[in-house]
Amino acid sequence: MPPQNPRLPKLSDVESEMYSVIKSRKGSGIWTNDLKKEVMGPPTAVAKALKSLLTKNLIKEVISIKNKSRKMVMAVEFEPSADVSGGAWYQSGSLDVAFIKILRQQCRRHVEEHKVATCEMVRKAIKEPKRGRPPVFTTEITLQQVYEILELMVLDKEVEKVRSSGVGDFSHVPEGRDCYRVSRGEGGPKEGAFASIPCGVCPRIHECTPDGVISPINCVYYNKWLGGLDF
Amino acid sequence: MPASPTPREFEAIMVARHGIQLAVFLIKSHFGELVSKVCECLLNRGSLSFQELVRFAELDPDDKSRNSLLVKKSLLVLIQHNCVQAFSVPKLGGPGGLPKLQTKYMILFDNVLHRLRFAKFLAIVRNDLGPKCEALLEGLLQHGRLTFDQLVLRATSKQPEATQDCVRTNFNELVQSHYIERCPRADPFIAPTPETKPGRRGSKSSVEIPTIEEQAILAASLSDIERFSGISPATNAGVEEKDEKLSEHSPSVSVGNKRKREIEVDSDVQATISETEILWRANFEKFVHCLKKKACVENIRSRLGVDAAVILEAMIESNCDQKATENSSVTATMDAILEGVRRKPGGNAMALEQVRIILDQLGCHLCSEDTGALYTIDLKGVIEICRNDEVESLVLRRYGKEAFRILRLLVKDGGKKETDMIADTTFIEKKENQVLLYKLWKDEYLDVERVVTAVGKQLTYFLWEVNKKKLLMHIVNDMYHAALNLSKRAGHMIEQDPEILLPKQGLPEKLQKEKTAEKRRWMILQSSLAKLDDALMLFHDF
Repeated sequence: MPPQNPRLPKLSDVESEMYSVIKSRKGSGIWTNDLKKEVMGPPTAVAKALKSLLTKNLIKEVISIKNKSRKMVMAVEFEPSADVSGGAWYQSGSLDVAFIKILRQQCRRHVEEHKVATCEMVRKAIKEPKRGRPPVFTTEITLQQVYEILELMVLDKEVEKVRSSGVGDFSHVPEGRDCYRVSRGEGGPKEGAFASIPCGVCPRIHECTPDGVISPINCVYYNKWLGGLDF
Repeated sequence: MPASPTPREFEAIMVARHGIQLAVFLIKSHFGELVSKVCECLLNRGSLSFQELVRFAELDPDDKSRNSLLVKKSLLVLIQHNCVQAFSVPKLGGPGGLPKLQTKYMILFDNVLHRLRFAKFLAIVRNDLGPKCEALLEGLLQHGRLTFDQLVLRATSKQPEATQDCVRTNFNELVQSHYIERCPRADPFIAPTPETKPGRRGSKSSVEIPTIEEQAILAASLSDIERFSGISPATNAGVEEKDEKLSEHSPSVSVGNKRKREIEVDSDVQATISETEILWRANFEKFVHCLKKKACVENIRSRLGVDAAVILEAMIESNCDQKATENSSVTATMDAILEGVRRKPGGNAMALEQVRIILDQLGCHLCSEDTGALYTIDLKGVIEICRNDEVESLVLRRYGKEAFRILRLLVKDGGKKETDMIADTTFIEKKENQVLLYKLWKDEYLDVERVVTAVGKQLTYFLWEVNKKKLLMHIVNDMYHAALNLSKRAGHMIEQDPEILLPKQGLPEKLQKEKTAEKRRWMILQSSLAKLDDALMLFHDF
């Protein structure tokens, strides 16, 4: 058994063993079921020791992004690793939607202002105070974060990724560098011909036959579609 | 095993079960039940001889003796309308017997589906060459194949003021623009392919042997010079002029006169044959090319703006590639592009530098030649974007924005991606990500591979990817189904009220309003079908 830390409150044998197992896992934490298997002792004593460690503020409960229903514990001096917390985009086991939304708005704004901007340009613009106002974010925004958000916007067809030619709109970006600009033309997802008719989104399309129970003649979705058109 | 015209058609016919149903429906609504049964038989069983068709089609089960007559008539209709191509193959006789010739009939699946697009083909000619040429093409589309004489007869019966010379001028315009062509050979002979000697062990032959149907199409097709040689008047002014020059320099006038007469007689006979015996038909290849151009230009207009669309259109129109309708690559000189751009509305104001920048944005490849700067673009890239747009839009409507993001990620990067990696890149909650991936896999949008790591603690990973070929086939099949449904519903509306398209004057106001609304519903079905067909062509024809 490891020697007791003099600064720690007095712990029972089970508590002490449990604490050392939890601490050895550092930022990865441990699932309480796994903990019960590792710490030998009667189940009631183990449960009591766990509760005691929580009360003494030596360990904390954390939510694992991989399995939210699992009760995970970790020594208080550690921060959950990216594996457990999900990384910079997660807050209390869920996607930090508000943060992502604001960062996304900021990225779009700066791409629009620059017309064409590289990842570094966008990050620099976000960090800089504007017209005497402090930057929007008090926390550090990494280049990786800006890159990930811009790539997300590419997937949503909000911006497009292009290679700088060094002339025209690209004159402030070195030739050959990857950069982003707001999608030209209509932008965003397009309305396809197939998706705009009932059959395109019909959940029963595979049960539909020309003379069957479900057919284009008696189709309720068609009736709704054509009946809903106001002339 | 059923066979079909080309590997692409084979795939379409074999996989797209709904494609067959759509083709049969089109033939049924245009030519009736009997012809559609013959068409269905050929689509399901592949190329067949006349006797096989009589046996399988069973047009009149009560009176089998009538079967051959009915099949013969149905085949004639299908051949007349360019939906069937005949070809001859050698058939071995009995032991020691001489080989005989057997005629087989193959269905031209693409040509059947083109029947959906006649209105689009007519609009192309109307915009390019005017209503008189459109009327001539209409005749060919209605009757499948006609001689020039028959076309003149049709034109003069409809418009008594139309003269033969006037019809000839319009006809030749259509031929020169490749909108119409001489019909292919009726019944080409296909010699048996010599069997290839087995190569060395392990060596693979990269040359694919064409199917008998592909060989038949090739053997039936005429050379471009034959296909598009127009009709000259019986006494050719050009010949006379040429002959005058000839006689001026000729030492003997009598020899010159004799030759002149010979040429005149030859050209007269040739002209009579051309006008009365040679059959003409619409050149679908050219129309598909025009619609492909339109789709590419529209896509560029929505993505890169009007100027880029004008430049691409000018570039396609000034393509110097001789096989423009077959190849997807477009090549044009800067001078030709500029000339084309200047002719277009809004193109006059475009400066050379602006054209250069847009050509660069379009992804054109620049190669300098003696004639000047030469730009090349492969339209396949634009078509690929159009296809992706269609699939993405479908996924967006069916599964939502997150699934749309997943599909875009997997299509953009290609290859396989692990579940958590997809969630991280697309910013989707991990659990929701798994649910969406499962749905997309279940509906055959994605393929999945299970990987188990044996090092240390055993872990299971799932790798996801888009199987483009499978996905496209699946979507095309669903599109055929949807096109069939739209056609059926529109057909049902006409059955319910055959006067749906007639003017509604003289009816009580309430009834008139109802009938007008019904007509508009029918028109919406038709316009949706036309748009869906545009999307279908993206996947099947371009």
